[in-house]
Amino acid sequence: MKPLALALLTACTAQTLAPSSPQPLPAPSASMIDTTPKARRRMVPPEVYLRAYLTWFGGLAPLNVQNRARPKGLFDAWDDYLAALGLPDYKIDLPRQTQSNTLMLATLGRLGEALCVRAAEHDLHAQNGKLPVDQRVVFTFDVNDDFAASLDVLHRTFLGYPLRLAPPDRLERFHTLFTQVAARHAGAKQPLSADETAWAAVCTALVQHPEAELY
Amino acid sequence: MRIRAALVLALVAPVALAADRSPTLADYRYYRALSIDLLGRPPTSAELAAFEKPDFDLDAWIDNHLTGDAYAERLERIYMDALRLDLGNSFQFVPNPVVLRRETVLGPDGQPLYIYYRRGQRRTDPKIDGDFCLTQAESGLQFPPNAAPTGSATPVSQEALDVRTVVVKPWWLYADYREHEPTDFAGADWPKRFPGFVPAPALLVEPDNKTRTTSVRVCREEAQTADTGIVYASGRKPAKKGDPLPFGRLNQPPNDTGFARLAKGRAISCLSGTGFQNSVDCGCGVGLERCMPGAGPQNDPPSFVMSAKTPLGADLPFDANAQPASAWARSWWSEEARHFLDKIFVDDRDFREVLLSHGTEVNGPLAQFYRFIANATCCGAGADAGYTRPDPLVDPGVVPDALVPEDTATWLPIVDRGPHASGILTMPIFLTKYGSRRARAHVLYNAFLCKDFVAETVKLAPSDDPDLTKRPGCSTCHQTLEPMAAYFTRVAESDWTWLPATQFPMTQPKCAGPKASGLCKQIYDPAFDKLRGAYAAPAHADAGPAGLAQDIATAPEFAPCVVETVAQSLLGRPLAPEDDAWKTELSKVFVDAGYRMKALVRAIVRSPRYRDANDVKP
Repeated sequence: MKPLALALLTACTAQTLAPSSPQPLPAPSASMIDTTPKARRRMVPPEVYLRAYLTWFGGLAPLNVQNRARPKGLFDAWDDYLAALGLPDYKIDLPRQTQSNTLMLATLGRLGEALCVRAAEHDLHAQNGKLPVDQRVVFTFDVNDDFAASLDVLHRTFLGYPLRLAPPDRLERFHTLFTQVAARHAGAKQPLSADETAWAAVCTALVQHPEAELY
Repeated sequence: MRIRAALVLALVAPVALAADRSPTLADYRYYRALSIDLLGRPPTSAELAAFEKPDFDLDAWIDNHLTGDAYAERLERIYMDALRLDLGNSFQFVPNPVVLRRETVLGPDGQPLYIYYRRGQRRTDPKIDGDFCLTQAESGLQFPPNAAPTGSATPVSQEALDVRTVVVKPWWLYADYREHEPTDFAGADWPKRFPGFVPAPALLVEPDNKTRTTSVRVCREEAQTADTGIVYASGRKPAKKGDPLPFGRLNQPPNDTGFARLAKGRAISCLSGTGFQNSVDCGCGVGLERCMPGAGPQNDPPSFVMSAKTPLGADLPFDANAQPASAWARSWWSEEARHFLDKIFVDDRDFREVLLSHGTEVNGPLAQFYRFIANATCCGAGADAGYTRPDPLVDPGVVPDALVPEDTATWLPIVDRGPHASGILTMPIFLTKYGSRRARAHVLYNAFLCKDFVAETVKLAPSDDPDLTKRPGCSTCHQTLEPMAAYFTRVAESDWTWLPATQFPMTQPKCAGPKASGLCKQIYDPAFDKLRGAYAAPAHADAGPAGLAQDIATAPEFAPCVVETVAQSLLGRPLAPEDDAWKTELSKVFVDAGYRMKALVRAIVRSPRYRDANDVKP
């Protein structure tokens, strides 16, 4: 940009510059073209995703989800989100969206986050973590279990297969996420303890994982 | 894990999971995709645990899940996406014979009182004929249409109230409203018995907003229950423009129709718009079952609390607000089509029934609609041409009368809707969603033959040829479209009223020429001296929608189109030329199975293509 600006400035003056040989353009520092493959990646239909949420978070009805996710500004009302989820609206001939978009992913992510926090409150925080496992909705493991075993429970729930079949670094990455969130929330005054918040973050990361959103 | 051996064609052979080993990641992903498509959601932990057991039989699992609500919904979604059978607020179904609006007056005790009435109700008293049943002198008010009353309310005398109105226990408050003394009042058990049936809160309380409504006061004529009335003609001369408004009215009393003047004193059915328009004896029936309540005087007043957003079905609403009766009707028309499709898929019937079936299933709201409400749109000016008894697309006599209007949960079959019935083609939702003959033909051409109309690139020559099959620039598409559209000649546009050949022959000499009446021009096309829409194929008009359904279902493109539509949806991609052989094999599977979806879906989901289509790699 600098040579161009200089050229423009000098064009306004009577000065003449000696011609010089053209310089090659600098290489761009980052590619702005998204070259990731799209053709074979497809979102699960939004109806399926909604049913998945209703199932994962305790057999809820849609209006229950709204009520559960609403407090503390985590979610508003379905009305604000349904179109963004890619659902068709036959009433106005709005077709189904078959490709994901940022609004859709943000909506799903926001809803998943809200429900994960609610689930952590119900399963882990209530009764000081003494809620029997069979009465829990999402975190159906003993918090004293090995992290890998606990993560496997969530991995199977949200991604549909055991952790042992996932890429080898997945356990480590999720463990890092857990410890970093827990460390960041250590000692903070909030409804959830540091570990509970960390589990909510792990849950959110899995709900928002591309494997959960794609076929 | 064991996979049951099965004899299948090589091209649709199942992808066997290796025996005696743990499922691989690909196996899990395959099972997840199957769950998404056949259960409508990813597998639960318990289902995954079952899947991992050595004796899990995936073939049997697939077979067991090629039925049920989730499977039906998956297939229904494919065809609802193609047909988009739902209507928005822009389609207002607010016929005067059906809508009971509500005005507020002061009762004899000086307290506000609700009175229900129908706009356009014929009454012998010219002061109130066609209007609300209390005069300005009786109530102190005038009642402009679609607006709050004007004037200073004065208490209505008990005498006037007794003469003009009666008290009724209506259907929306009593499930046994047909009994002499109804007692099954809307109570705590109704949400369970009649899920989704919730009258608007304003219909359930008196004007003080506290007292629970247990009965309603209705204008006397509206409360009548006879099935048959006598044609009434007031004998008044039609008012001329500028004539003063009589009796403190805000509008002129209604004129007698040509039919009323000719048929005065003759019997007329109260189950049609013609009866409402031409008789003072026709009311809303027992418990007001022929009418829909509205909590206000406006055009389309609120009636029921219902959801406008039901992407997971009516039983899982995403919102709940008071909606007008027109929204109630529209939503059940749409539900009828969904239910009809689901039934075909769940029962694994011949898919051609979607076009050809004479049957349907109805619940309480639909039964009420077909028995009492559908014919309210008939016959308008057609009565002057002798059309007074509707020739319905659903014969009210075959609708199960055991269904009360609030019974949303019980669906009962109608084996034969009537001689004109033909799958979804004659359902109200289809005929109103696609109001014009051409729109109806086009969507069927697109959804069931997988074809579309693409205009040729031609130099347009000026032409005013009314025959679009010949007009340059139009003919490419209309040569095909017009004969298809002609099958809908006898179904009124944006409506379901059938135009029978007895009253409406293909050509009508008195309707020929430029001096034909307005009714003639509405029904006959002066450019061709034929029924509107029939010019390209008059024989198709008499074959009706069933003729088009037959044409489509027997077309060679029909089965391949179904295969392509379903396969594309399950694979999540368009079929490519390299899929042609597979598509041919699938078509054979589909046809050999009697056009049943189960065989087709089974072949698709067990194919390597399906398994490979869901190959998200972590």
